[in-house]
Amino acid sequence: MTAVLRPTLARCLWTTPLFAAIAVMVTFAARSIFGMDPVMQENTFLTVAYIFGSIGFIVGIGGMDYWWTWITGGELDEEDHSQHGAKSWQDYFKFNTDHKVIGIQYIVFTFIMYLVGGLFAEVFRAELAKPGMQSITNGQYNELISSHGTIMIFTFMVPVFAGIGNYVIPLMIGAKDMAFPRLNAVSFWLLPLAGIILLSAWMYGSYDTGWTAYPTLQDQSPFGQTLFQIGVIIAGSSSIATAVNFLVTIVAMRAPGMTLFRMPLLCWANLATSALVVAATPFVAGAMFMAMFDREMGTHFFTTEGGGTALAYQHIFWFYSHPAVYIMVLPGFGIISEVIATHARKPVFGYRAVAFSSAGIAVLGFSVWAHHMFASGMQSWLRVPIMFATLLIAVPTGIKIFSWVGTMWGGVVRLTTANLFAIGFIVAFVIGGLSGVMLASVPFDLSITNSYFIVAHFHYVLFGGSVLTVFAGFYHWFPKVTGRMYDEKLGKLHFWITFIALNGTFFPMHYQGLEGMPRRVADYAPQFGWSNTVITISAFILGASTLIFVYNMIHSARHGKPAGANPWGSLTLEWMVSSPPPTFNFDTTPRVVGGPYRYGEEGVKHAVFPDEQPVETERVGA
Amino acid sequence: MAAADMSTPKIQPYKTNLNVCVMGLIIFLVSELALFGAFFMYYANLRLARGVEWPGDFHIPAEATSINTLILVVSSFTCEFALLSLDKKGKGSRVFAWLFVTFILGSIFLGLQVYEYMTIGFTPQDTSVGAIFFSLTGLHGLHVFVGLLLLGLGMIRAVRGRWSPDNHVGLLGISVYWHFVDIVWVILFAVVYCLPSS
Repeated sequence: MTAVLRPTLARCLWTTPLFAAIAVMVTFAARSIFGMDPVMQENTFLTVAYIFGSIGFIVGIGGMDYWWTWITGGELDEEDHSQHGAKSWQDYFKFNTDHKVIGIQYIVFTFIMYLVGGLFAEVFRAELAKPGMQSITNGQYNELISSHGTIMIFTFMVPVFAGIGNYVIPLMIGAKDMAFPRLNAVSFWLLPLAGIILLSAWMYGSYDTGWTAYPTLQDQSPFGQTLFQIGVIIAGSSSIATAVNFLVTIVAMRAPGMTLFRMPLLCWANLATSALVVAATPFVAGAMFMAMFDREMGTHFFTTEGGGTALAYQHIFWFYSHPAVYIMVLPGFGIISEVIATHARKPVFGYRAVAFSSAGIAVLGFSVWAHHMFASGMQSWLRVPIMFATLLIAVPTGIKIFSWVGTMWGGVVRLTTANLFAIGFIVAFVIGGLSGVMLASVPFDLSITNSYFIVAHFHYVLFGGSVLTVFAGFYHWFPKVTGRMYDEKLGKLHFWITFIALNGTFFPMHYQGLEGMPRRVADYAPQFGWSNTVITISAFILGASTLIFVYNMIHSARHGKPAGANPWGSLTLEWMVSSPPPTFNFDTTPRVVGGPYRYGEEGVKHAVFPDEQPVETERVGA
Repeated sequence: MAAADMSTPKIQPYKTNLNVCVMGLIIFLVSELALFGAFFMYYANLRLARGVEWPGDFHIPAEATSINTLILVVSSFTCEFALLSLDKKGKGSRVFAWLFVTFILGSIFLGLQVYEYMTIGFTPQDTSVGAIFFSLTGLHGLHVFVGLLLLGLGMIRAVRGRWSPDNHVGLLGISVYWHFVDIVWVILFAVVYCLPSS
């Protein structure tokens, strides 16, 4: 009985409908008072029910309990850590303030969403295996590709890095937790909410406008489109809250001696990413709000009849969504630097250049949004500056590639699964980066726009880029999270199947695009038959390879051989505590005495605990 | 040292003099500014790039609203006085009084905004200029409303005697938020109400 009063999922079962019902009644009253016609408009009520039900869910899960007591001046027990740390599996389904628990919650949830989004892709790939329409309708095809893109980007690609960062970053900088543990928990719990809302769109006729949802097409979509907008706003709130948390944590919570240039590169990458999220994500929320007002309130932001312009949506949307592609890959860059330095046993080549290139990408990322709109009819004078800015981004990215190759060069490269994924990432990302440079040039882009070449490009950078870094990170920190080793043979099998199938899936799309096959169309000309068959078979193999990963992770987490504190012989702080780390990470606050990647030097340390003999060697940043 | 760390796993900032909560709030307000930025971007696109004007022969009530602007700017000072009266080790009642004055000024501002909505002569549904006018001022009004809630909660804590010179981070946060609302309004007033028609 008390379970429905304490902060649990059970409490959400009544707070969510309660908040939704109150909002609906208030809306009904307001509509009646102001004499709106008709008073009963189903979509309006559903919209407010979803928005306020979401708030009710956060209240139910316990996101507001502490703050409410504090702000109303109630008594608080500052030493109450009952919500911190997991003692059983049930604690993972509760409001938990431990950054390690939240990290695992994030990773498991986002990976489930990855499987869901992948399943959507397998379904429409099956349809695309042969020319002509076989199993699904055109409308269902549009809904599937839209759900695939939205689920993958907003509930997997952006938050999975928040999950990895959540687990690793406080450990890396020697902090006991994130700066705002409760905010951290709230930002996680917003995410399942966003996922449920995005998936529940299928109940009302799902959105079928792609993940970009341009007006005026989206004005004609069923109610699912509004749920898309609410879901994206909630997922965006989640990532803003996480980014605020990361920024404050990395700036203010570092252990003594951890100067900026002694931070591991993942911290730099997360710093740049979080700055991007804070400054850019509100723009997509703004675009979504305006589009939602157009749909549900009859305003004319993006329809011509009231003097609005559909192009404005594209500007505001891409002002977020181009920085978003760096949000989706910069933390991955950081992971790769960690993995390669550790497994090649060499200091990162050009540490400062890599750190600054992250910041450079973050700044430049704001000046290139309109390269998504070369063919949209925007002001033509914008084209050339945007083209040059886009080409310029290849420079900081190239610095990073150069650094990774230079780090491996002459190192003792251990081909563990994590490192294989890192190397595979470099190969795939260079392919995706090169096609990106091609697309940056306006004449080429105009002739190839909206073709499969675009699909090939962004899947090489998002799958070949981001997803491979995610796997590299999973394998690299798996021993730290579970305290057990994964099965290296299965891991390598997973890598090779993934890597070959990835190229089999996405490489032929370059050819298709150059030959003129349009994207987002359920049927195609017969001459693309064989290449689409190859792609579909590869896509199925790619999907199957994920099952190897899932089996490996679940089996190894329970039966793998014990890993010990530091199986990779890494120098950074997270490997100096037991695996899995104690609830409050560090029993004594560590003191950082040198750079994080000083491999190959005899007896040097990145950090010491106060009871140890300090090793004082000043070589910052190496 | 070791034992102390074990028993107090509280979050301690290592490096900075700025309180972490206020730092977090400021970063959050940067993202709030970006949210306003999305609407300002649309507005700039409409008025500057495309030269769309207010509907018909309509004139935006800049003169009336400048009084409203003055009220909000004054409320920013009274909000700061609440913090100052705290630093002079005044009682909770003085903090309460200044917060209450700020609350009243904010309420007057919000009331005048609602009055302007009712008398302005066009609706959000009429044209896209109407939509962006109501969105910008409405989004700001929502922030004023949230600010009033925060001021109200600050008053509750003041009545209960929870603010002291050693424990005033929350009050500082309320004040920073209220200043933000004020600054955004000044920008908004300048670009929406004072931008001359071309």
